[in-house]
Amino acid sequence: MGETKRKTRDEGTGGREKSRKKFNKQKPSKFKPQTKKDDKGKKKSGPRLPNSLRKELESLKPSRPLNSDEEIVSDDAGDEGEFYGRDVYEYEEEQAEEESHKNRRYDPVQVNKSEYELPDDLSDGFKDENLLSDDESDDDNGHFDGRNRSEEDSGDEGEEPDEETHKRMLNRIFEDLKGEKREKKKNNIVISEAYPESEYNPTRDVLDGAGQISITDLLDPLHGISGYSKLNKRIRDMEKKSKTVHAPLSKADRTKIETKTANELVKKDIGKWEPHIKRNREAPTIYFDENVDLGFSTVGAIASEFEPRTEFEKKMASLVYDDELMEAYRNDGSRLLELNKVSFEDEKERQNRIAKMRSLLFRHEMKAKHIKKIKSKTYHRLLKKDRSKAASSHIQLDPEAAKEYAMKQERERAEERMTLRHKNSSKWVKRKLERGLEKQDEGTRAAIANQLQRHEVLTRKMNSMKENSSSDDSSGEDDIDENSVGSDQDSASKFLQKAKEKTMKVLEDDDELPKSGLLSLPFMRRELKKKKEAAAEEAKHALQEYESSLKKLDDPDGAASPDIGSVSGRRVFGVAKAQTVVATNKVKSDNFYGSSDSEDDLEVRGNVDVANNSSKDQQKYDKSGSVVIHEDYDIHQDSVFKNLNDKVGDLGPNTTADVSLFVSGAWKKVNSRNEEDFNVGNSSQFIEPVDKNIKETVNELGDDSNSDSEGKMVDGILSSGPEQFYALPSQEELIHQAFAGDDVEDDFEKDKQEILNEENPEPEKPILLPGWGQWTHVQKKKGLPSRMLKEHENAKRKREEVLSKRKDAHLKHVIVSEKLDKKAEKLHTRTLPYPFTSQEVFEQSIRMPIGPEFNPVTAIGALNRPEVMKKPGIIIKPIEYEEVNPHEITDERSGPKHRSKRGKNSDGNTLKKIKARVKS
Amino acid sequence: MGVKQENGTLIKPSTEEETPNELDLKVKKYLRGDGANLEVLQDKKLKGQLAVREGLYKQSANAAAKAEKWLMPSEGGYLEAEGIEKTWRIKQESIAREVDILSSRNQYDIILPELGPYTLDFTSSGRYMALAGRKGHIGIVDVKQMNLIREFQVRETVRDVVFLHNELFFAAAQKKYPYIYNRDGTELHCLKEHGAVLRLQFLKNHFLLASINKFGHLHYQDITMGSMVGNFRTGLGRTDVMQVNPFNGVVALGHSGGRVTMWKPTSSSPLVSMLCHHGPVSALAFHSNGHLMATAGKEKKIKLWDLRKFEVLQTLPGHANTLDFSQKGLLACGTGSFVQVLGDFSATQNYSRYMTHSMVKGYQIKELVFRPYEDVLGIGHSMGWSSILIPGSGEPNFDSWVANPFETSKQRREKEVRSLLDKLPPETIMLDPRKIGTVHSAKKKEKATKQEREAEMENAVEAVKGINLKNKTKGRNKPTKKLKKKQEIIAKAKRPYLDQQMKEEEEIAKKKQKVSQEVELPKSLQRFSNKKAAS
Repeated sequence: MGETKRKTRDEGTGGREKSRKKFNKQKPSKFKPQTKKDDKGKKKSGPRLPNSLRKELESLKPSRPLNSDEEIVSDDAGDEGEFYGRDVYEYEEEQAEEESHKNRRYDPVQVNKSEYELPDDLSDGFKDENLLSDDESDDDNGHFDGRNRSEEDSGDEGEEPDEETHKRMLNRIFEDLKGEKREKKKNNIVISEAYPESEYNPTRDVLDGAGQISITDLLDPLHGISGYSKLNKRIRDMEKKSKTVHAPLSKADRTKIETKTANELVKKDIGKWEPHIKRNREAPTIYFDENVDLGFSTVGAIASEFEPRTEFEKKMASLVYDDELMEAYRNDGSRLLELNKVSFEDEKERQNRIAKMRSLLFRHEMKAKHIKKIKSKTYHRLLKKDRSKAASSHIQLDPEAAKEYAMKQERERAEERMTLRHKNSSKWVKRKLERGLEKQDEGTRAAIANQLQRHEVLTRKMNSMKENSSSDDSSGEDDIDENSVGSDQDSASKFLQKAKEKTMKVLEDDDELPKSGLLSLPFMRRELKKKKEAAAEEAKHALQEYESSLKKLDDPDGAASPDIGSVSGRRVFGVAKAQTVVATNKVKSDNFYGSSDSEDDLEVRGNVDVANNSSKDQQKYDKSGSVVIHEDYDIHQDSVFKNLNDKVGDLGPNTTADVSLFVSGAWKKVNSRNEEDFNVGNSSQFIEPVDKNIKETVNELGDDSNSDSEGKMVDGILSSGPEQFYALPSQEELIHQAFAGDDVEDDFEKDKQEILNEENPEPEKPILLPGWGQWTHVQKKKGLPSRMLKEHENAKRKREEVLSKRKDAHLKHVIVSEKLDKKAEKLHTRTLPYPFTSQEVFEQSIRMPIGPEFNPVTAIGALNRPEVMKKPGIIIKPIEYEEVNPHEITDERSGPKHRSKRGKNSDGNTLKKIKARVKS
Repeated sequence: MGVKQENGTLIKPSTEEETPNELDLKVKKYLRGDGANLEVLQDKKLKGQLAVREGLYKQSANAAAKAEKWLMPSEGGYLEAEGIEKTWRIKQESIAREVDILSSRNQYDIILPELGPYTLDFTSSGRYMALAGRKGHIGIVDVKQMNLIREFQVRETVRDVVFLHNELFFAAAQKKYPYIYNRDGTELHCLKEHGAVLRLQFLKNHFLLASINKFGHLHYQDITMGSMVGNFRTGLGRTDVMQVNPFNGVVALGHSGGRVTMWKPTSSSPLVSMLCHHGPVSALAFHSNGHLMATAGKEKKIKLWDLRKFEVLQTLPGHANTLDFSQKGLLACGTGSFVQVLGDFSATQNYSRYMTHSMVKGYQIKELVFRPYEDVLGIGHSMGWSSILIPGSGEPNFDSWVANPFETSKQRREKEVRSLLDKLPPETIMLDPRKIGTVHSAKKKEKATKQEREAEMENAVEAVKGINLKNKTKGRNKPTKKLKKKQEIIAKAKRPYLDQQMKEEEEIAKKKQKVSQEVELPKSLQRFSNKKAAS
């Protein structure tokens, strides 16, 4: 079949080769008439010669026998002859060699090879089988016996006698009769035919006609040599097993199969990693080389391991650790000490002294440290106070120090007066003022006020230095004693007296004008004079005022000049007026929980303020005599009293404290007022009546309340107080309380509706805009367009739906806000985290806290361990194959597993390890 | 701690032998709900991971349950009546006869007649008590040792006092402002922004001081940094009824309109507003589990509410000026000079009278506070303060990591630091804090509105319009062509939107058709509609 194959291929390539081959093949068939038919068929399928050529060929050899076979052969021969211009026989000679080549293909080993080289189609194979049998028969015929063959060969060389052909024909006929025998011998023949190619088969044998060489012949000389039997056996096996070999598959199929098998192999090889991968995947934590020693952890450890290596190092070491040297040093050192002799007592004393010093120092240090560490503001404040106190006491005790202090003060004062540093002169203050004081924040304002105050303090004369002007409403509260308040009047008169004296002095003082320097210049002098005159006038004026005020002070009725009264009134109560109004309003706003006394407190205060205020107002505008004012005061006194009385009635024992508080508050105010007035330098006789009033009321109240509370305390119960309290609320309030429930529900429902509307606004009602989309009244009659109505309805329906989904939809008395809290948004996840696909699973997976507060120690580690555990500095080696039983279940997943795994790693060396390798 | 003997009646400690069933119950408690159904999961890896986790959870819960079973040192008890006896008839004197000396020392009255009704507050460990007399008397007492640590007078009205995170600091609501003092009575801060505060509460997990002032303003101030976290007008008038829900840190206010509103510091409107009573709300208290609230109204009703459903569980008759839940869930109500303790021993949320106590007639009770980890009820009244025994009120076992009555100063310091590190931000206050960390998808709009869609389209068109076309070769650069190209680009940009619109319209039309088909046609026309459907 291989032959046919080549033939078909040759058909495409060249006519010459083809025809030659055909000739070859058909040449033996010339001798077998039985296969004539076959040959004919083949001929039909063979190459076609052009008619003209054929005719020519025929004309060349017209005297050919009529045998068709012959004819064809001659045809072919003629062909050859034409092409090569040679004799047919010559050509045949050449052909014989060719044939041998061809036959060589039947050597079983070589055939195998060629089979793989020449893959074939199935259909081809089919055809070939036929042909093959044909060929075989040809060959068989040709090589039936050695003699025949040789004859044929010889015939090829020489002339072919007719008898011989006849004999062969006969032979063949016999052969056909005993086909089995022929079959048996087939192989032998095949082998024998390999001779022309073989190097070990010299052609001489053939020429001699000594017959053919069988494989046994070749084997015989090997008899007795080692391996002979093996070879023999193999050959025999080969003989036995020889069978038809199928055509090779197409390349694509072959590669397919190859890859498939390779894939299977690789799969098998890789499959052994599966348990590893599975184990690693299932493990909650993977550990890498837990017990690797990373080397020294400290510098000391490294140093202790040091060994001298280089020459230099060794030398150094030998010197350093030389015993002799060490000894010598030791001796020498001790001798040195021996030299300076110190008495034992001296030494001891010295040591003691040093120890003492040290301990003192240490203590001092510790103390300082401790003090330094104190952060308490209170402490520092106290410390500061102490320091200032100490300084002041020092000044008092030591005249030198006092002098120094005074000098310093003087200097500061002078500096301040010169530079006016704190008088809104700094850049910062200027800028702030430029912007407007109202616009500044409180801190800035306070700072500005502060520096002004500082200026005042600094520029104040030495005598007034002790006066402390810082009397804040809040801070001054505890400082004020009743004594000081009591002596207010006295101090005022004293003050005035002093002022008077001073002004007198100033007036009397007639200091000379400077005679030299800048001030001696004429225009300066003039200026000075002018100033002085003005000052004198002012002083006189002031003096007058002082006198008048002194007089007034003496007057108990307090016939104040309306002018001053109005001033003070404005100053003191201008702000309070607004406040009180607000306060009273506030008080009235929600008086339901009337139980708190502070409320009442406030009310009282408010009333007092209002009363005072109104009195001031009246004073201001009413220029009538003091009688009216008196009346006024009475009224107010009454009102105050009444209020306080009410309170007493209200709260039994509470009152004392409150009243005292109130009183102290009032005092505070009065005080501050006094001071202010004095600072201004005006008289303040106006306050006195108020003070008196209050005093009186307080006294009375105190008596009252005391008696009240005492009376009630007798029982040890406070029964009367609270009862009175419950009786007190006005009728309106009682009614309100009693019927509070009536409109509560409605209110709530209204509120709910409001909130609902706010969170889900109601859709706007469609409105008909006149002139839009309508021309006449016709459309007006029609009403709104249906589209609008529909839209509205849809919106309404949507709203209803949303409302019905609310949490409080079915709860009549509850509003649950559905407002989104933007700040809390960050505490929720927007989307499910990656591996999760269902919200439920996710939420259930985070239900348990994993902190140490909620879990026992045994579980915390496992719960919080990261996926990979690795010491810093460890190099992760590539995975190594170790045999794992894939069926063993790794059930210990937490702590114990961790340990066991570590163990495995440690004795991993003893386990059989195979390097992973994948076959390519 | 909690075991008290009674004459004839025995205080029954819970049975010693616990069946495995009980252990299971405990395990269940510590598992905090069921695990997810892992069978449904498709992802094998996740399944494996979750299975491991669940295993760990189970292990942890088991350990916790076992620890609870074996390591709890003491058991709680309660009064149990025998025969015809009633627990509420049992007097304090008869209890005193039966209990041990240490417990009997907890029964006392301190008479301080001058400085008005007292309010009380305990630290979370129950060791220290702050008391404030209305008229300016403030004191701190170590109630374990009965040792007065500090007392001083501020000489002005004090309305409320509350401990901050430990006994070293406390806040007092005074006449004008609340102040913060330290244990020695040194004034540390004056919180002027709060105004005249009527009631103070401290949220110890969030370090927030909540106050309600005279004008009904609710303030939240962070006491660590001093920042004002929240400042809200309630708009419902003046009230001094305020209580923190210990479970979630929500502050509840009771108003004169019978309303109870609940607030958190990050929203200006109340989370919940409930109409609880027809009269004004006079008192309010929360159970420590967070879902039980008791309110008392002036219309002589005490109501118990389930806050999960916002429904009334029980309505009891009676006035109460002050209410308080104990750790074990007893509810104390006080009016006038009478104290009543309600108990729920059937575990059915059905509170019934458990104990009563009446003070000397005329004493006006201002505040009732249960002392944590002790069976003691502190009563602040107009004549000082008293302490009585209520068996079964306190938690018998304390967790020294949570609240340690025997805390040393070092432990206290450490705890302070730790609690500061664990401080929760104010936004974690919400009705259900367990929802933190869960999925909360933003309210997504199902469909963009028509305007939005149009705007989007316009934007797209604008963006396209800005593109400069390349100049083509000579002859191909005609303006008409350019214009055409531009129009094409615009059309292209518009297309997706228009397509979408078309689709939606089609859908709507389909729906409409369906609707119209459903509408029955008159008989004479029905056959046509059928035909149409067939074709």
